[in-house]
Order: sequence, then structure tokens, then C-alpha cells
Amino acid sequence: MKKRKTVFPAAVIAGIMLTGLAQAGGVRSPSMLANTCAGCHGTNGASAGDYMPIIGGMEKEYLYTSLSEYKSGERDSTIMGRIAKGYSDQELKAIASYIARQPWVSSPLQADSKLAAMGKAIHEEKCKTCHEEGGRLQEDETPRLAGQWPDYTLVFLEDCRAKGERCEPRKMGKRVMELSDEELKAMAHYYLSEK
Amino acid sequence: MAAMKRRDFVKAAGAAAVLGSLGGVSSLTLAQSKKRVVVVGGGYGGAIAAKYIRMADPTIDVRLIDQNSRFVSCPLSNEVLGGERDIASLTFGYSDLSANHGVRFVNNEILEINPEKNYVLGNGNLKYFYDKLVVSPGISFDFDQVTGYDEAATKVMPHAWKAGPQTLLLRKQLEAMPDGGVFYIVAPPNPFRCPPGPYERAAQVAHYFKNHKPKSKIIILDAKDKFSKQGLFTQGWKMHYGDMIQWVSGAEGGIIDEVDPASMTLIGQVDEFKGDVVNFIPAQKAGKLAHVGGLTDESGWCPVDQKTFESSIHKDIHVIGDASIAGKMPKSGYAANSQGKVCAAAVVAALNGKPAPEPSYVNTCYSIIAPDHGISVAAVYQLKDGTIQGVEGAGGLSPMDASERTRALEVEYALGWFKNIAADMFT
Repeated sequence: MKKRKTVFPAAVIAGIMLTGLAQAGGVRSPSMLANTCAGCHGTNGASAGDYMPIIGGMEKEYLYTSLSEYKSGERDSTIMGRIAKGYSDQELKAIASYIARQPWVSSPLQADSKLAAMGKAIHEEKCKTCHEEGGRLQEDETPRLAGQWPDYTLVFLEDCRAKGERCEPRKMGKRVMELSDEELKAMAHYYLSEK
Repeated sequence: MAAMKRRDFVKAAGAAAVLGSLGGVSSLTLAQSKKRVVVVGGGYGGAIAAKYIRMADPTIDVRLIDQNSRFVSCPLSNEVLGGERDIASLTFGYSDLSANHGVRFVNNEILEINPEKNYVLGNGNLKYFYDKLVVSPGISFDFDQVTGYDEAATKVMPHAWKAGPQTLLLRKQLEAMPDGGVFYIVAPPNPFRCPPGPYERAAQVAHYFKNHKPKSKIIILDAKDKFSKQGLFTQGWKMHYGDMIQWVSGAEGGIIDEVDPASMTLIGQVDEFKGDVVNFIPAQKAGKLAHVGGLTDESGWCPVDQKTFESSIHKDIHVIGDASIAGKMPKSGYAANSQGKVCAAAVVAALNGKPAPEPSYVNTCYSIIAPDHGISVAAVYQLKDGTIQGVEGAGGLSPMDASERTRALEVEYALGWFKNIAADMFT
């Protein structure tokens, strides 16, 4: 299957420390915690589709923030809130770190080229200052979009549009508010095409 | 993290091997010391255990043995009954699991377990030796509880509680039923595989009737007085199917003592019911191999150490999935998946002389009431005082007042769940 990323020495040390604790005091290892996600998000977070986002290889901080916000209810969800409440903050951090270390595996879907072209134009105008390199670049607050399952991207954008200015970050809410159904779909296909 | 540590261990083991051979240990000795795991039962529990053992420690030899060369998923098979899905979309082979993870698949029926000599015996007098055995045998039916319901009766009043020919038989009967007919579902007593299953089945069949036989009725005769996601199902049935579905609790006469397949009659404690189509879901116990192998207690299910799933009866044999007694976890596909991973980590640790890691378990069950109406239940579990218990404040049901969008999204997530859990098992 897919090769794992090289593990950095610091992570190795941290991992050994965590596992050591697990044996002594009932702490659960990152892999033990994170493997329970695969039933919905695919092995190592490489989602097989369609509405389940690929999470393997996403930025650790972004994953941790998302999980924390599901737990607190700040981020809307159907089921993630109920699940995230089952873990301590430290455990959510461990899950985020483990999943972040897995390789990103893009959706194998072919993007609709007409929609992707329309999406690209919108991206250039409204999105690229934060979502650089066609949505491939990721930072603490900026998830990878390139290669993501389009159904997931679309649901996220629809939710953001419905919230309008309450969508975080606000400047994104304001921009997404102005887009039509077709334009949102175009965005989802554009980011799919950038895998 | 376990995988990473594992890799370090492999490196260390490799280094030791080099030193060892310099020191005079032959490679033959090393080859013989390869640890062997046999997994019997290639479904939601077994396929996962086999794969995750190999992922964590590729030096372990893993054989996955099943009497069927292809697996048919029970989850989503209610959609086949409703006519929304083809059974081929629920059918999987083991070739990717072998190619991607080096799991050796063996198509054979296991007839015997020998816990003293550490082997299982298959057809053709074939013995498969193990250092650790994982058994994921699913369920079997307790035909003793109801007079007249036996193997032969399953051909007339199918249970359709193991997906495959039984699912197709029930679908055929529903297709042949005239409009205005009555379809009975006899729901089993606790504990049983897939607690929301009978009630989702009622909804899926109602969806089919609504479009093709709108004068028909569905009556659930239940051995129980309450059931999984009851409020959400009752609300959803009413919303989409009006009065088509009727539920009769055990206290109200839902308990069936006897059946007469020849006259399609169900004989209850109060009344008799004659159906045009009858889906009889019998009381359940652990799968046949668990009984043959002496892994069950007086309850008919398998007691295990809930930290490792090692049998409380036989050492080095682990029992996962529906057959196991797993604290508060339901008998579901997701639970079996989660248990398969906990068991895999425990097996790998034991074979490397390490203590079992602290476990973490999750369950998620979706039910599809209509094409735009899904509901779910979720739970996160931990080991507490030796038993699997839900983490307080987490998990629970979809809200009763969910928006249309949420209900529609839960259907998409149910389908996405299936894609991903199937990929987790078979790729």
C-alpha cells in the first residue's frame, strides 16, 4: 500500500514517551485512538469517498482545532460532535498528530473540466490569498483542499454560505455568501482538479 | 505510533539477526521463529484483525480463513430488500487484502479448534497451526426457542439476518406479494446482531411498498418492549409512511411461541397472525465455531478479557465481533471493526513479549429510513474496571428535531461510512 512519511526524531521520542505512559497509567496510544476513525474516514484517514473528507496528511493544528471545535460545538456537525466529546484534549491532540503524519491520498475522481475552469477563476479572485498553490498549501488554519472529495468540499462551502458572516473566518464567509450553487460546485471541482 | 515503534523494533530485530548470524544462529532458526496468527471468519471483525496485525508487524504470518470466498455485508442489505441496491455492491473478495497487506487468504471451513495443540482443523483434514488464534464467527440462530422454526422453515419464512441468498429470497417474496398484503417482521429478543436492523428493515420495505404496493401493511411483532433509536424510528415511519408500519411490543402480544410455515401462521401468546410474507428473525447466539470450539458460556456468547478479547476459557484464542461479550458495545459492524483493531494491537504486543496496550473503542450505526432521511447512534468507549463502558457525555442519538438538511446528510454519511469501512476491511 502507501508508504508512510518519514517520521521525525522528535515525534519518535514523543511517541515512545506516550507509549511508555500508556503501559504504566492507562494512557491510550495515538494509533490506538486514531485507528477508530478509519471506520468512517478510511485506513489512515485516506477516505474512500464521497462525503467523508480525506484527513490523513492534513496539518496537525488544523485537525486539532477542528476536533476541539466539534467537541465544544463551535463547529457544526451531524455526528462528529458526539464522537469528539469522548476524548480529552490531550487525546484529541494525539489523534491529530497521528493522522497528520499519514500520507495525503487524493480522491481518484476526475474533476468536471468545465466546472473546474469556472472554479479556478473564482479561486484566483477570492480564495488564493489564503488557499495558496491551488489549495495544496496548508497551514495551521488552512486545510489542504487540493484533491479533496468534492462532495465534502461542497457541503463545507454550503454550510459556510448559510452562516454568512458567522462563518469562520469571517472574510471567507463574506466571499462565499456571494456564490451561487453552481459556483460552489465549481469550487469543489476546481480543488479536486488540483490534486 | 504503534506502527512506528514496530518499525523500530523490526530494525532492532534486523540488527539482532545480523549479530545473531555472526554469532552462529542459522537463518533456518530465524525462519522457524516467525510468529503465526490464524484468523477464522473474514467479516467486519476478522478481516480487520488480520489487516491491522500485518500493518503493525509485517513479520507476523497471518492466515485469514473463511468458508466463503466472498463476503456479503449485512449492513446496507436492508437496501436490497427495499430495491434500492444490488447485492453485488455488498459483495467483496480478499485479493486486495492479500496483495496490499500480505494476508494469506484460505477458503476453507473450520470444523474444530484444538486449543491444546494450537491448531484449527479444516475440511480435507487440513490443520492450520497458530501462536495466536482470532475467531470472528458472527452469530448463529437459536432454533430451540420457537416451536416450528428450523432450518427448513428459513426457506419459507426467511430470517435474512445473514446477508446473501436469504436476503434475495425475502426480496423475491416481497416482489411477489400482492398489493394490500401483510408483511410481518418478527423481531428477536436481546442480545442480537444489529439492534436497529429490524426497524430500518421495516422502513426500507415501506419505502418499496409506498411506491409499488401502497395498500400493504407492515407489522413488527417484537419480543421486546422497547428498541434501538425507537423515538427516531417512530417519528420517521410516521413522517414518510403514515400508518403503514405498526409495532407490537412483547407486552402487547408481540412474543411469538410457535410458527407454522405451511399456513404462514405465527402463533403468539395472545393472538395468531397470518402473513403474506413473513420475515422471522430468530433469537441468536454466537456463531457455530464458537460453540464447537468450546468458547461460549451458559449465555451462548463468548466471555473474553475485554482489554484484549482473549477468551476467558482458552488461552491464546481471541474472540471478536458479534460472538463476543463486549461490555456495553452493541453487536454491530462498526463495533466488530473497532474490536478487531484492539485485538490486533493486543496480539501484536503479546507476540512481541509486551503488555497489552490500553484500548479505545468506537461504535457508529446509521439507519436509512428514507432516501433523504438518515439517523445515527454513536458511542465512544473505554475500559473501566475491566469492562467496556461508554464515555460519559459523549455519543448518543441524532436529535429528534434535526433539520431536513441534517437528515439528508446522514444518508450520505451512511453511504460514505459503508464505502470507508468496506475499504478498511478489503483494501
